[in-house]
Amino acid sequence: MQRPESRHAGAGVLLVGALLAPLALNLPQTSIIVTALCFGLVALGLDVLIGSTGQLSMAHGALYGVGVFTALGLGSRGAPWPMAFAAAIVLSAVVAVIVGLPSLRIRGLQVAIASLAFQLFAQQLPNTYSQVKSAGRTFERPGFLVDETHLYYFGVACTVLVLVLLNRLRSTRGGRSLLAVRDVEARAAAFGIDTGRTKLFAYGVSGAVAGLGGALFALQQASVSDLQPFILRESLLLVAVVVIGGARSAVGILFAAFLLKGLPGLLGTDGNVAFLGDVSQWLPPALALLLVVSVVLQPAGIGGVLRDLNIRLTPKGERLPPRPQPTDAALATARARMLRDVPRPLKERLPVPALLVADQVSVRYGGVTALDALNLEIRRSEIVGLIGANGAGKSTFFNAVSGLAPTTGVIRYRDRDLLLSPPSSRSARGLARTFQEMGLVRSETVRENILLAQTWMADYPMAAGLLALGGSVGTERELRRRADQALELFGLQHLAGERLGDLPYGTMRIVEIASAVASGPDLLLLDEASAGLTPDEAHALGDRFKALRDELGLTLVVIEHHVPLIAATCDYCYCLESGALIAEGTPAEVTAQPRVIESFLGRGTLQPETLRPEEVLA
Amino acid sequence: MLGEIVVGLAIGSAYSLLAVAVVLVYSGTGVLSLAMGEIGAFSLYAGLYAHDHGIFGWQPGVFVAGLLAVAGGGVLGLVVERFVMRPLVGRPALDGLVATLAVALFLALTELYLYGLDPFAAPSPVGAGTIEVGGAVLTATELVLFGLAAAVALGLYLFLTRTKFGLATRATTSDPVVARLLGVKVNRVYVFAWGVGGLLSGAAAALLAPINGSLTPFSLTTALLSALAGAVIGGLDSLGGAILGSMLVGVVTGVVGSRFDPAMSAGVVFVAVLATLMIRPRGLFGSPRAAT
Repeated sequence: MQRPESRHAGAGVLLVGALLAPLALNLPQTSIIVTALCFGLVALGLDVLIGSTGQLSMAHGALYGVGVFTALGLGSRGAPWPMAFAAAIVLSAVVAVIVGLPSLRIRGLQVAIASLAFQLFAQQLPNTYSQVKSAGRTFERPGFLVDETHLYYFGVACTVLVLVLLNRLRSTRGGRSLLAVRDVEARAAAFGIDTGRTKLFAYGVSGAVAGLGGALFALQQASVSDLQPFILRESLLLVAVVVIGGARSAVGILFAAFLLKGLPGLLGTDGNVAFLGDVSQWLPPALALLLVVSVVLQPAGIGGVLRDLNIRLTPKGERLPPRPQPTDAALATARARMLRDVPRPLKERLPVPALLVADQVSVRYGGVTALDALNLEIRRSEIVGLIGANGAGKSTFFNAVSGLAPTTGVIRYRDRDLLLSPPSSRSARGLARTFQEMGLVRSETVRENILLAQTWMADYPMAAGLLALGGSVGTERELRRRADQALELFGLQHLAGERLGDLPYGTMRIVEIASAVASGPDLLLLDEASAGLTPDEAHALGDRFKALRDELGLTLVVIEHHVPLIAATCDYCYCLESGALIAEGTPAEVTAQPRVIESFLGRGTLQPETLRPEEVLA
Repeated sequence: MLGEIVVGLAIGSAYSLLAVAVVLVYSGTGVLSLAMGEIGAFSLYAGLYAHDHGIFGWQPGVFVAGLLAVAGGGVLGLVVERFVMRPLVGRPALDGLVATLAVALFLALTELYLYGLDPFAAPSPVGAGTIEVGGAVLTATELVLFGLAAAVALGLYLFLTRTKFGLATRATTSDPVVARLLGVKVNRVYVFAWGVGGLLSGAAAALLAPINGSLTPFSLTTALLSALAGAVIGGLDSLGGAILGSMLVGVVTGVVGSRFDPAMSAGVVFVAVLATLMIRPRGLFGSPRAAT
């Protein structure tokens, strides 16, 4: 991964370079750079959608135009520039949200077509209705921006402000929610994320940044008659700039924008350079070819190349830090207790109140009944095993509880029906789960993923996080503290800054459990937590389950295929087959039933006594 | 009014050729292609350049130039499939969309580099003759567009439903992995989709440019947007739906565009796309898969 120090150093060098640049440039050249900066700002806005949310907008040229003509229309009619800027930002954001509305209904590529249809419509507007262009009027610059160099510094200040805000977005609730939508949309609700609002938020932020770029352009140009900067070609070029620059790489994107819009002009007014010919002529198709090549060969763009280089320059052994010895005495005892391995004697079910009761719960997908009138109950501080062959309905039951499946019946959780509340509200009610296939974001660090799972606790609005308002700073500090506690509990603190996707599979599974625990649940649903683990790792996992119950007071439901693990850890066990309950009882009782063995292992392949835990685990 | 509808239907027919190209590639390979306009435009540029200036001392007539555009579109489609799209098989759908966007951008910017911004005169490959049918004056270009759109629709329908290869195509559409296990040569389906898509793109370019009056870079990609709007309204994986949707968009463009103004017609299309995606994302005739 890229070390934060090197990133800060790089940003510092760039900023100093940007501040000194006008000394080496004449005024027309400075002006060209300002134009490139406007384009770069719009591209940064687009990256919020492409890079962080996984949505493609092909209308950012038009949104740029919305910003330009709004600022121009107000500014040229005597409105003070801050008002013109604010109006441009707000209107572009609103229009972007409208363009993004279909993303509420569908996840597919068709959402991008809505943006294309908008581009087609918007680019006709200034052609058809000439008043849009505010022709014959000019946007007078305020006194402190008359000089082109001043405007340049103003543009740099705007860009730095945008970068600071977008960086804040990344480290707060909003940014994490965007990534969850990008990578694990179907499961994001389990973290307490309302995916629809998150997407519209992304469109809004993206449009606002594009509007700022537009307002800056309007201020620079004073009046706009050439509509070329807002046509379809520019919208496609903006996508190209983001992809070539590298999604989520601000430096790469600004560089690509400079390459496309700044460099040809700087090389000479006619673009002619010795040996290279007219650069401004051949650069655009060359960049497009670079785009084709980079999509095929290097999907992460220039930013990705930089990151790969950074990884290659880091000696291999240093990439994963060594696991530190436990220093904290309390932690050492906790681990000792975890490792003590005392299987609780199998006994009668504890007579404690139920935490969750499923009453006639059914899930149907069209004609397929995945879960058929299931009745079961999970009592407080139990570890309940859910077993059954593939397709028995185990994960479907989890999906019903977490609101990811079309469910009928009643699921009473702490005496209230869960099905009456939206899926994204359930983590706040003390439900957490893991997924059979990782439900986390691999491109982010372990700590960021833990924070993602705590999204419901971040009770400030997404926009407040962006602007560091509404107590978001204090909340984030508290969440980070909690996240570090959870990492410590699972012995993962030395990996906190590692990219999740770089970790071994078994460790990723542990991180997922840690993230679920970090969200502060009462009821933890673990879907095949031991899948892909070695027998030793699986055994250690069983001890962890018990530690979670005994030390944190959690109630656990575990879906497991690993029968010894069930036998060693579970207080009670349910067995499903084809969506229906076929057995329940202590693990020993359930695994001894012929019907269960038949369902699980096939007829007559194994004697029941083979399944006795003490033998298997010996 | 009748004249406007006829022009709208002619434009709609050209859109429907592009829409069919998009649907073929989408249902054959799962990629939503933005390159289907510029592939045809690029080869039409070459054909028209040969017609105007001659290549190697040979100066083809307008009709041959049009045929060159069609054939060139097919070849270009195959090149794009082999060198850009095939390496992307198995990558996220967004990568495919961005790749085709990149191809469209590259082709259009190369046209700009080679031929400049000045519009290319685009004479109709089938001449400038007109006939009068029931009060409406039809140009030869419009007549050929109607015929071609109908023939393509019928031909592809029969091909996909009546031939073994059509069955293989449909199997690949529904699940490429299973199709491969069943012995379908999936790559051939991809080649077919892009090859035929390219031919259709060339034909659409050759017949639409004369209706627009000229050929400019990005003009066919702009037309493709209307076709995409039509395909979304009709259903992205339904040939019939996409054709009907494109015709609708064409008629709206023809009638609203001349009665009011082009911004109004583009606005109506935008609202229709937005409404379709919000209310019935799969489109009028699409399968539920088209809405995922």
